[in-house]
Amino acid sequence: MYPDGSEELLKGCECGSKFFFFIKKEKLNEVEELVSNLTTKDKTEIEKDVKDIIGIKNEDKPVVLDLESIKILKPGQYEIDVVKLLKDKMLIYRLEDGKYIIDLNSTFKKEKDL
Amino acid sequence: MITKFKDFINNLLPNLFSKKKNIKLGIYGPPNAGKTSLANKICEDWLGEPLGNVSVIPHETREIQIKEKVTIKSGRKSLTFNLIDTPGIATKIDYEDFVKLKMKKNLAKKRAKEATKGVIESIKWLDNMDAVLVVLDSTKNPYSQVNLTIIGNLVARDIPVLIVGNKIDLKKSNLKKIEDAFPQYNVLGLSATKGHNIDDFYKSLFKLVK
Repeated sequence: MYPDGSEELLKGCECGSKFFFFIKKEKLNEVEELVSNLTTKDKTEIEKDVKDIIGIKNEDKPVVLDLESIKILKPGQYEIDVVKLLKDKMLIYRLEDGKYIIDLNSTFKKEKDL
Repeated sequence: MITKFKDFINNLLPNLFSKKKNIKLGIYGPPNAGKTSLANKICEDWLGEPLGNVSVIPHETREIQIKEKVTIKSGRKSLTFNLIDTPGIATKIDYEDFVKLKMKKNLAKKRAKEATKGVIESIKWLDNMDAVLVVLDSTKNPYSQVNLTIIGNLVARDIPVLIVGNKIDLKKSNLKKIEDAFPQYNVLGLSATKGHNIDDFYKSLFKLVK
């Protein structure tokens, strides 16, 4: 885990990944418990699924995801906060001092003039 | 001459306004309520072909499906819209539920992932709609977070809503429960697969999409 503003968030983790989840301090224990139940294979699968769901293709840029509206308990098991999704109009974003923001409004195709 | 000019203007103006934009009619609701069955019924009745696949396994529709320029008629009136069938909105998607329905584990996980993506996509499209049919299964309890949230948000966005209580042909159907749950909204019961009450439904569409 890396605190806000860490160099790793820009350069990438020592494992080589540039893909991070944003976790609020108050939810740290909950998340740690959840993560401790996951195998390395589970984590890789979840990371791949999240990338698929939100359509991340560029692997070079660092990405920090705030996934409060979708909880992934295990690969294939999702809890969706519909109220939050409808309210925020933005599923995922974040990187303080950041370098990258993902706004789902731009990742999903909108056909306004169908 | 003046009369002819007036006729010309009277004919031209409504056409100008009707061509201003394509009306987008969205079909929303929880999984397995019969959204695609209703979309298929509309398309079969007026275009002679279905829109998408239906299945007893939830989350069969995982991508937005569109049928453009559907024209329905009632007497002398006609109404043209783009019909947009959306993936079912759910708060929990678990691949194990699909495995219980005899689906292979890897396919079930893929379905769960795509269904989650579908929920997000449905929500993102909500603002694009001009009118929405919220399709509920009339054999199920209507008081769910998904139903209340979708309908509440549509009203907050000033998008006209018609609540469709589907599956009225089934014994367990209880349309009154839906009417009681949403007393301030128009509720119409039908059976998309059997075609029960479909004529009243088409009449209601004219009132919904003005």
